[in-house]
Amino acid sequence: MQRSDASALPACGILFSFLFLLILPVSLLAQDLPVADDANLRVDTLQEVVVKGEMPLATRQILSGKELQALSTTSVADALKYFAGVQIKDYGGLGGLKTVNVRSMGAQHVGVYIDGVRLTNAQNGTIDLGKFSLSSMESVELYNANKLDRCQAPSEFASGATVYFRTRRPTCDSLSTQLRIASFSTYSGKLNLQTSRHGWQALFDAEALYTKGDYPFRYRSQYEDTVGRRANNDIRYYRAEAALFNKGFSSHIYYYYSDRGCPGGIVRRLSDKYTNVGREWDSDFFIQASYRRTLRDIHTLLANFKYTNEYLRYCTDYPENQNTAKVNNHYHQNDIYTSLSYAFSPADWISVNAGYDLRVSWLTADLKLFSPVRRQDQKGVVAVDVNYFGFRLDTSLLYQHYKDFTVLHTGAADPLQKFTPAVTLGYEGNNFRVHAWYKNIFRAPTLNDLYYTQAGNRNLKPEFTTQWDIGGEYSLPKGNWSISAQADIYLNKIKNRIVCLPIKGTYTWSMMNYGYTYCRGLNLNLNGRFAPADWNFAFISSFTLQRDLDRTDPESDLYNRPICYSPTFSCGLTGIVAWRTLSLTISNLYVGSRMWSYADPDDVLKPYSNIDLKVDYSHTIKGKYTTGVTLEIFDLLDVQYEHVPRYPMPGRNIRFTLSFNI
Amino acid sequence: MQKFLSFFTSFFLLCGISTAYAAEEKIIILNEGMWQADNGRISYIEDGEVISNKWFRDINNIKLGDTPNDIIMVNDNLIAIAINWSNIIQFISPDGRAVAATENVPNNRKLASDGEYVYVSSYGHECETIDGYKYFTKGFVAKIDISNFKVVGTCEVGYEPEGIALYKGHLFVANTGGYAFQEDHEYEKTVDIINTDTMQKINSIATGVINLYGKMSQSGRYLCINSPGDYYDTPAMGIILDCEEALAGNPQPFQVLPYACTYNCTATDGSFLAIGSRYSYYTGEYQFNYITIDPALYSASGGAEGLMESLPGSLSEIIVKMTSPYGLYQNPYTGMYYATDAGSFAGAGVLHRWDANGEYLGQNTLYINPGHFLALTPDSWNTSVGNIHDTIIDAGTDTEIYDLLGRKITHPAKGTIYISKGKKIIY
Repeated sequence: MQRSDASALPACGILFSFLFLLILPVSLLAQDLPVADDANLRVDTLQEVVVKGEMPLATRQILSGKELQALSTTSVADALKYFAGVQIKDYGGLGGLKTVNVRSMGAQHVGVYIDGVRLTNAQNGTIDLGKFSLSSMESVELYNANKLDRCQAPSEFASGATVYFRTRRPTCDSLSTQLRIASFSTYSGKLNLQTSRHGWQALFDAEALYTKGDYPFRYRSQYEDTVGRRANNDIRYYRAEAALFNKGFSSHIYYYYSDRGCPGGIVRRLSDKYTNVGREWDSDFFIQASYRRTLRDIHTLLANFKYTNEYLRYCTDYPENQNTAKVNNHYHQNDIYTSLSYAFSPADWISVNAGYDLRVSWLTADLKLFSPVRRQDQKGVVAVDVNYFGFRLDTSLLYQHYKDFTVLHTGAADPLQKFTPAVTLGYEGNNFRVHAWYKNIFRAPTLNDLYYTQAGNRNLKPEFTTQWDIGGEYSLPKGNWSISAQADIYLNKIKNRIVCLPIKGTYTWSMMNYGYTYCRGLNLNLNGRFAPADWNFAFISSFTLQRDLDRTDPESDLYNRPICYSPTFSCGLTGIVAWRTLSLTISNLYVGSRMWSYADPDDVLKPYSNIDLKVDYSHTIKGKYTTGVTLEIFDLLDVQYEHVPRYPMPGRNIRFTLSFNI
Repeated sequence: MQKFLSFFTSFFLLCGISTAYAAEEKIIILNEGMWQADNGRISYIEDGEVISNKWFRDINNIKLGDTPNDIIMVNDNLIAIAINWSNIIQFISPDGRAVAATENVPNNRKLASDGEYVYVSSYGHECETIDGYKYFTKGFVAKIDISNFKVVGTCEVGYEPEGIALYKGHLFVANTGGYAFQEDHEYEKTVDIINTDTMQKINSIATGVINLYGKMSQSGRYLCINSPGDYYDTPAMGIILDCEEALAGNPQPFQVLPYACTYNCTATDGSFLAIGSRYSYYTGEYQFNYITIDPALYSASGGAEGLMESLPGSLSEIIVKMTSPYGLYQNPYTGMYYATDAGSFAGAGVLHRWDANGEYLGQNTLYINPGHFLALTPDSWNTSVGNIHDTIIDAGTDTEIYDLLGRKITHPAKGTIYISKGKKIIY
């Protein structure tokens, strides 16, 4: 029943959001605004929602502080979807893989950093953002191209887009616990400890979650009326992490373990006898440290170190599995990363940054015809930043050198070494800035791409992206209100896409370079805040208009056709209303229709509006203890949309959280 | 509105097929679609025109299922389709109407039929039968009775059995062991022979060639079997197997072809046509071959004669330009040739057509991954010859038999439609 009305939902969702936004100013006018004359009154305002007055040269979007906490999110992937130009690929439910794709470059062109140190996966190059929680994060920042800090590590220049997660630095001692119950037999608990003493800050955050994930779904069309419950979609995970800070020193230790089912696509079956039974176990550990020191505003030194250990087991060796090979494979990765960067700023108007990275990764697996592989990845960068009476020029030249070592019978790939440049020009005025930039970068073939049994191709070329961007930002902070706007138009070209295809008439699948993508787009962000007395109103919006075209083969019918899964238009609208410690957040994420194959105009994922609602209230007892209660409703209109065909999302679901803080 | 349109589309399709005009070229093509996307489809073509690229949906208002792998004519009124990821054998009438479906034959692959039973190979390890579930360590062949569409017999064969053919009451099943690079067993090298009455394996031919995967074509007593090798040290090649010699007990009733037969078909003159593709993970490069094999001559000469490195007419010229060749076929009624190109696997595949002399006729756009063909009887054959009679002529009968092109057949294959005494019969 719901599916048949889906075509009306996008309009309904947008209308809902705009009505909400229209109501906002009316509400403001209608309120008899209280005056904060009660000195004993504890007012919990959203001060951290302030639009930053600083004007970085880079193209960036930030969610931070209570603005971030006000969103209905389960993982960091949920937060990123509120940014312009971001597409999330989600196979549904808590257990599904969640990856982020920025400006249609592909998930492997997005570098993900925690406190400035990159998360890596040499095996497949993809970071599952479902493994990271927002509860320990202070901000989530997305940079198209480079962040453009004065002193950066070379790896920060080495991806098409960069996502930075910044761990919260405690400012006081606190203990908080959280218990949560949600739809589809979902239960979780969290513990967060923070302390700040003698210039040191420490944080400990732990979480456990179990969900059965057996949500109902329905496919209804001219050709089917399929109802059922998602099977093999359960997940159990534990996460524990701690961070320690002191001025320029930061460190982080992280452990994650999960045991999850791998659900399949919903296909025509005459019975439920054979469903996907494959399971996956992940165990991820890393420890990292970073030290940054600036001397007399002239010399800046940055040193990073990280050790990562990842384990993955994938098993389909069960009697119930009749449809696929019965495998039980174990993959182990070890990764050591170290980096040293130095920035020299002899005058206010110029800074030179040079750095060197060394990363060594080991991959072992009990695949047939596979031998351990070691990858040595070295990077060096020289960057110059010039700032002259508001005019900015930032240019960088990155050198990357990859060399693999293995006794695999296919042999190691030839060493890969490339220089790639980036240039940014900008001008900063009063409350505004404009910029234009160019970046050329590649992603090296991953170890899976090169060496995976009966798929890897050691002859792969790197996948290159070339990006151009021109844009500007305007912000107007005025007392208790502020507004900001940011717009960018961009052009991306991607060549030698690395894909897996059984091309050229063989029955076997193989990685290969196939594809050229041409993408033009517009990103727009409009944000506003109004905080009269006990009230706080915030509005966050992002809009993406994008034309993403296949330009692989001029002779092909597919030439200049839109890339699959890429919507022409998408937007996110979020409104936050808070009164003292009571807040209401409503967000609407609209994603336009997306083709999922070129073969038939019917092969389209329908547009959807996903509306989430969050009500949060906290109460402080004796000025010491705070209890809170949160109610969240996801997919309010029960659209049950899809990111991937035949992988339905959960539809309307509810989450209830109790929290206690000291 | 959609239902209204669908009804009229279906109505006109049905009317068109049965009464509108006499179509000589009637081809059904299975589009595999994408794995786990539930978008397997049937294209139906008449006289060079695509009537529908979602023929089954148009007529039945239901989806076909996920990854259809094979399609055969069971008898004059019934067609069987193996739908791999849906675990279904779907039966339809020649006008496209769904008749029945046999469920829970997991991981089914290829089909054969003698007109009364349908035989299907499966990579799975269990199967629901009229006697309850049967379990297998390796793969199996299921026997489906088309009077009730139930599995009435099974036989365990090698790991991951693929091609299956029927000759004189015996099934020839090519084993692949295709999961060898993932599971704890090696590639298979055998062709198993099963007595269809008892569903017992009577022999296993050791070919010495690994991974007998892909399309298996039959020309009377001969089979053309592909081996893609292991893509590393063992290159792709083919086998010409003589079923008659195999049943006679010859320990080596086959000749190994030093060519790949990745996509092969039986031509109307009894020869095999094959597009071969060899891939090496060492070099990442492909080698193609295009061959025509006279199986009788090739077998009799011990592989010295009977093979040409060419295809009829201009087939090779067009096929060599394809991005991803995906199927090859000759219409037994009209003699027309067909080859499909799956392209990038994300877009619509293309059907290329040639006349019986190999002159290129043009192309049609189909759906994703079109690879499996079935020609239907031309309307003029139905009107001039009449429908197939129920006569089932036993193997060994001395009656003169002709194929559908009017040529006298000396080695008829069981389950095949022929003409005898002015009537269409199933041998």
